Amino acid sequence: MLNADLQALITTLEMAALTTVILLIIGTPIAWYLAKMTSRFKVILEAVVALPLVLPPTVLGFYLLIAFSPEYLPGQLWQQATGQQLAFSFSAIVIGSVLYSLPFVVQPLQKAFEQLGDHIIEASAVLGAGPIDRFFSVVFPLTKASFITAASLGFAHTVGEFGIILMIGGNIPGETRVLSIALFDHVEAFDYQRAHIIAISLLISSLVLLASIYLLNLPKKTSLSTAKKVRSH
Amino acid sequence: MSQLDLAFTLHYANFDFTINEKLTVQGIVGIYGHSGSGKSTLLRAIAGLEKTVSGKISLDDKILVNSHHNTFIKPENRQVGLVFQHARLFPHLTVLDNLTFAVKRCKTPQLKLKDILKWTQLENLAEQEVTKLSGGQQQRVALARAILAEPKLLLLDEPLSALDRAAKNTLLPIILKLQKQLNIPMLYVSHSLDELQQVCDKIIVIEQGRVLKLGDIHQVIHQLNDAHSPLIPQQTSLALPIKSHDNGHGLAELILDDQQVLFIPCENLPYANEYTQQPVGQVQILRCFILANELSICLTEPKNSSIVNHFTGIITQLELQKNKVLVTVTCGEQPFFVNISAFSQQKLALQLQQLVYLQCKASAVRTFIH
Repeated sequence: MLNADLQALITTLEMAALTTVILLIIGTPIAWYLAKMTSRFKVILEAVVALPLVLPPTVLGFYLLIAFSPEYLPGQLWQQATGQQLAFSFSAIVIGSVLYSLPFVVQPLQKAFEQLGDHIIEASAVLGAGPIDRFFSVVFPLTKASFITAASLGFAHTVGEFGIILMIGGNIPGETRVLSIALFDHVEAFDYQRAHIIAISLLISSLVLLASIYLLNLPKKTSLSTAKKVRSH
Repeated sequence: MSQLDLAFTLHYANFDFTINEKLTVQGIVGIYGHSGSGKSTLLRAIAGLEKTVSGKISLDDKILVNSHHNTFIKPENRQVGLVFQHARLFPHLTVLDNLTFAVKRCKTPQLKLKDILKWTQLENLAEQEVTKLSGGQQQRVALARAILAEPKLLLLDEPLSALDRAAKNTLLPIILKLQKQLNIPMLYVSHSLDELQQVCDKIIVIEQGRVLKLGDIHQVIHQLNDAHSPLIPQQTSLALPIKSHDNGHGLAELILDDQQVLFIPCENLPYANEYTQQPVGQVQILRCFILANELSICLTEPKNSSIVNHFTGIITQLELQKNKVLVTVTCGEQPFFVNISAFSQQKLALQLQQLVYLQCKASAVRTFIH
């Protein structure tokens, strides 16, 4: 792989890793809130979270491009705070990826929290464990597999992003030029050999990652299923 | 001893649960009611698991809830323990780790983990995965865990109802023993009156979200006999000293009064020692009951009968209930409740203050475990 492609790989990995970390931090409370929510507005919130699954990435990208531009408030605020333009920056593609991959992190976590239920959480509360303590000593260990699934899906989906990045990031080497864009460039330039290398690498690594996730969830001996076993006694 | 002030309403699916009682919890206080009567809701409200309580709850002068002042102490800060119907153990932890979970979160731990392991018969299971335990073992871990959090008040929500008979036989004496040893005030919810009769001195009866009765266990059971739509089979609740554990024929003898004894099959009281917890040498008391349908009345002494139990008393009340008559016969201080047909009443022409003989088989004298 040539230097330019290597740089694209590094940018891609940096973007995906940062996006995954941010998604775990903001996705966990969103998933928790949705899992515990009983109001009828729940469906609306769920639909908003799931939007990126069905929306063409260019639609999201288009609106973000407008929002990030210096003429509009989010772009203005960013520029005031950092002194730099938000559109066509590394930060922009990370923010775009966070929104775009949100359902891939929130949905598995929400499902896990719903399955875990309130029984064991109530039991830990009456033993004197506060909310943070309950999360780290009970909820997280029992839903660890779902956290791994959520993080892997979020990471993999971000690596595979194209439309949004093209809209809001452009194609700046070392800043916003990621693998999927590099691949597109090579195809446009009829450099099929380099395109093949990137394409097959992405294909194989995605396959390996997804297979690992399914393997992780396969023998239903996860902590969640044992939690259910205990409850059904 | 704990002082529990309950004055609140809780909106529930089908009805409002309302209570207004000042309760002194000494030993074990029972809460009885049918499923859906609101008794578990009461415990959940005290533990802090029901957030929509409107009114006041306080424990030993500490206000747990006062909705008028927006006070709501979170469950983790109440020092109120709760043992659920299903053990609700942490499946990712071993038995020992489940117990230390409670110890670590106890502000001023005084109990020794080793003692509690011994008293709950868990010494050999400490390193086990909780998912590998039987239902009875899991519930013992749940009990030990709740005790180790050292609550000021322990709530037990149908702790035996999901267990088989053998597991009930093991767990019930453990609960009683722990209560006596550690002197923790307990509220014990059950839909089985037999079970409550074994464990508690005072009982609250809840029906349709309201307190129907509150008082001494035996008196309340007898009061429920009078109710027009009885919640329970009419019965006599007894607490009698054990005279002999075996008369040589497989029957134990209970002292009814100076002259009269009541026979009970030995297999009905194998747990009497654990239940009563009396020091050696002291008289042991057995709690038992006789269903009103299983007692009968004779005008003359039934000497020539295979029915072993017969004793005299005086009729103190006659209550016609449809085709039946509920006869109260008082033997010394102890009232007995007998259900006879209106037909028999007419034939025998029973009258108040009349001296009669009551009889029942030994097997009609029942305990919770029989």
